[in-house]
Amino acid sequence: MSNSTISNSTLSESTMAGASTSGIPIPGIFPRRSLGTDLLIKLRQNIGLVTAIGLFCVVYVFYHFAHPKGFSSAVFVQNADEVFTLAMVAMAQTLPVLAAGLDLSVGAVMTMVGCLASYLLSGAAQGTPIEFSFGGTPHILATLPGGIAGIIAGTFICLIAGTLAGFFNGCVVVYGRIQPIIATLATGAIYIGIALFLRPTPGGKIDDDLNWALTNSLQDFASTVHIFDDGNAPWFAPFGTIPVPFILIVMIALLAWVPFRRSVTGRSVYAIGSAEGAAYMSGLRIDRAKLAAFTLAGFFAGCGGLFLAIQTSSGNADIPQAGTYTLNSIAAVVIGGTSLLGGTGGAIGSIFGALILRVISFFFRIFDIAPLLQPLFEGIILLAAVSIGALRVLRVKNTLELFR
Amino acid sequence: MKSVLRLSGLALASLLLSSVATWAGPKIVSGPGANPACFKPWSAQTKYFQWEKKPGPYRIAVVNGFVGNTWRIQMIKTAKAFAEQPGIKENIKEFKVVSTGTDVAAQLGAMEDFINQGFDAIVTIAVAPDGFDRIIRLADKNNVVVVPFDNILDTDKVMMVNEDQKEMGRMSAKWLINESGKTSGDILEVRGLPGNSVDRDRHLGFREVMEAPGNNFKITEVVGNWDSGTSQKVTADALAVHGHFDGVFTQGGSDGTVRAMIDAKHPYVPMSGEGENEFRKQIADHYKDGLKGMSYGQSPALVAISIKAAISALQGNVMPQLISIPIPVADYKTLKDGENYWSNLSANFFAPNQFLPCGVTFTAPEIMAQSESNVK
Repeated sequence: MSNSTISNSTLSESTMAGASTSGIPIPGIFPRRSLGTDLLIKLRQNIGLVTAIGLFCVVYVFYHFAHPKGFSSAVFVQNADEVFTLAMVAMAQTLPVLAAGLDLSVGAVMTMVGCLASYLLSGAAQGTPIEFSFGGTPHILATLPGGIAGIIAGTFICLIAGTLAGFFNGCVVVYGRIQPIIATLATGAIYIGIALFLRPTPGGKIDDDLNWALTNSLQDFASTVHIFDDGNAPWFAPFGTIPVPFILIVMIALLAWVPFRRSVTGRSVYAIGSAEGAAYMSGLRIDRAKLAAFTLAGFFAGCGGLFLAIQTSSGNADIPQAGTYTLNSIAAVVIGGTSLLGGTGGAIGSIFGALILRVISFFFRIFDIAPLLQPLFEGIILLAAVSIGALRVLRVKNTLELFR
Repeated sequence: MKSVLRLSGLALASLLLSSVATWAGPKIVSGPGANPACFKPWSAQTKYFQWEKKPGPYRIAVVNGFVGNTWRIQMIKTAKAFAEQPGIKENIKEFKVVSTGTDVAAQLGAMEDFINQGFDAIVTIAVAPDGFDRIIRLADKNNVVVVPFDNILDTDKVMMVNEDQKEMGRMSAKWLINESGKTSGDILEVRGLPGNSVDRDRHLGFREVMEAPGNNFKITEVVGNWDSGTSQKVTADALAVHGHFDGVFTQGGSDGTVRAMIDAKHPYVPMSGEGENEFRKQIADHYKDGLKGMSYGQSPALVAISIKAAISALQGNVMPQLISIPIPVADYKTLKDGENYWSNLSANFFAPNQFLPCGVTFTAPEIMAQSESNVK
């Protein structure tokens, strides 16, 4: 395929279906537009994302007004901690969904990486031996160094494990030619099996400072790792209250998602979701894009598992929890404006989807709602949130558009 | 997030203040504790805690994890009813109950939220035995009393309330051995929800006795998730594969296990199980045919005792770190209609609900008959 047409940066995700490689003008889109129209079109194309952000802002500001300690660093930190893992898993789920698949293994990958992290991130001064016992005899594979170096190495190993799991999913889907939902159901069971093998009972240890530094505000982070005068540098003060998990989400989104989204491979994923046949006929590398989508999904899920382990200072091969995360990730993806049919949406929307999903339950802590009615309220609000995204149905001029 | 920046100055100041504040939390003192009839220490080695006395009334939150089975619903109803009882009501200014599902991050978030809201005590069923270090640290810093019960934590830094799960397992094993009079045979073990401490401890206690030297039992293990339907299914599967068992130990969903045995025309054998009313009815109906049953009970009223313990701790009383609640046991010899089971009631619930030394006076039918609006 020719790179020049497909990398035209004005192409937005939802128009990918109509994009062709031959340079034929696409109806409704012209190469040069005024900035205002440009913005308007972008807005319309990302209506799902915009709705999600708007909805989140309204609900979240309301929450803070109702909270006795609203708008304080402590509450922001608490919320960021709570949402981080779900946001990561939702981002992970977004990629297979964009390619018109579903990944039922995201919760399992998260759990597996979490269990792995509970061994590798203990921060023991004498280092962490990587050993496994087979037939009663222990085999030492390698020894991680102690202290910071060991933690960094352990983090890398965990993220690689997640990425590999995602890559394996991709291989099964692409080369095994198995439907993603079935393939990941099976691989998910494998990952849970590995997690149970690693942690038959909950436990393990994560370095205390690592736990404290990553689950708090930047100020605490700086004082724990002794940078910027232990966080007392004057220029640092305005940033001190920002929660570390928030920074991490922004970094992961900017450094992993955005470049991927802009790459040819990334846009191929959208094309596959819109019309796989058309994408194939256009000469896009379908296999490579699918592999990349699942691999990146594994990476995101791995980030989530790593953080969950750090947050809880332990690893737990909790099967119901893995299932909950998988299910919630799908919900977050939908609330965030990504279509389950594939082709439109994005991981940023899913982050907001995860935020909305969490904020709804925040209210039960503030308002007096009968405990046994809480799931009912949660369901109604969720349904409403999803319905807002579906309002476009009311505006379509031609019913055929619904089948897009 | 703009608001973060706007309010950063103020928040930073409070943050600095909080970070230089001394490490609070309970003092470790020597016993005996207050009201030993109700707050019985786990063992002679149990430490005693004392928090600084706070003026009442208090704000108390119950952070439940999973919700959706009878036990949890009965627990929530018991909590609500207990908070309205005279003697307790005066001590509570605000009472909240939330359920966060099986997600540990959500539970941690909810607990931290209540700490931030300035609640005085948080009563909780932990979704995992580990992972609450950060919350304990924050709670100690803010002088909040955290009381895990039922699924408790693997730590000795918080005050906890439970029945001895290992002892339930041991008790059940002894019962099966005594009733069958044998030291060998095929035994079915129906386990609970995998991954949490109650399931693990009951299992370990059971195995400890069954696998003691001199015994030669062949134990088949299935997972019933403490749920009647699941237990019935997995028991039916096990019966289809193994044909015959000499005894059964189930951690919950006990009535489902019995029903599967009836359906498979399996002869009645000695059995020990949970405190479901339905199971107790089955024992009463069939013990003459061989269903020599023992029913131990993890009572949903543990939540009431935990609330009471939290209030007592906030009042500055000396409290044991680990509070042991006696296991309510009934067997086919001691079952009495209208007292520890109710043959006329068809709704399933957990029969043991009264703990008179702790002032928990309502019976299970009283709780379960109440609608949510009545309790409020």
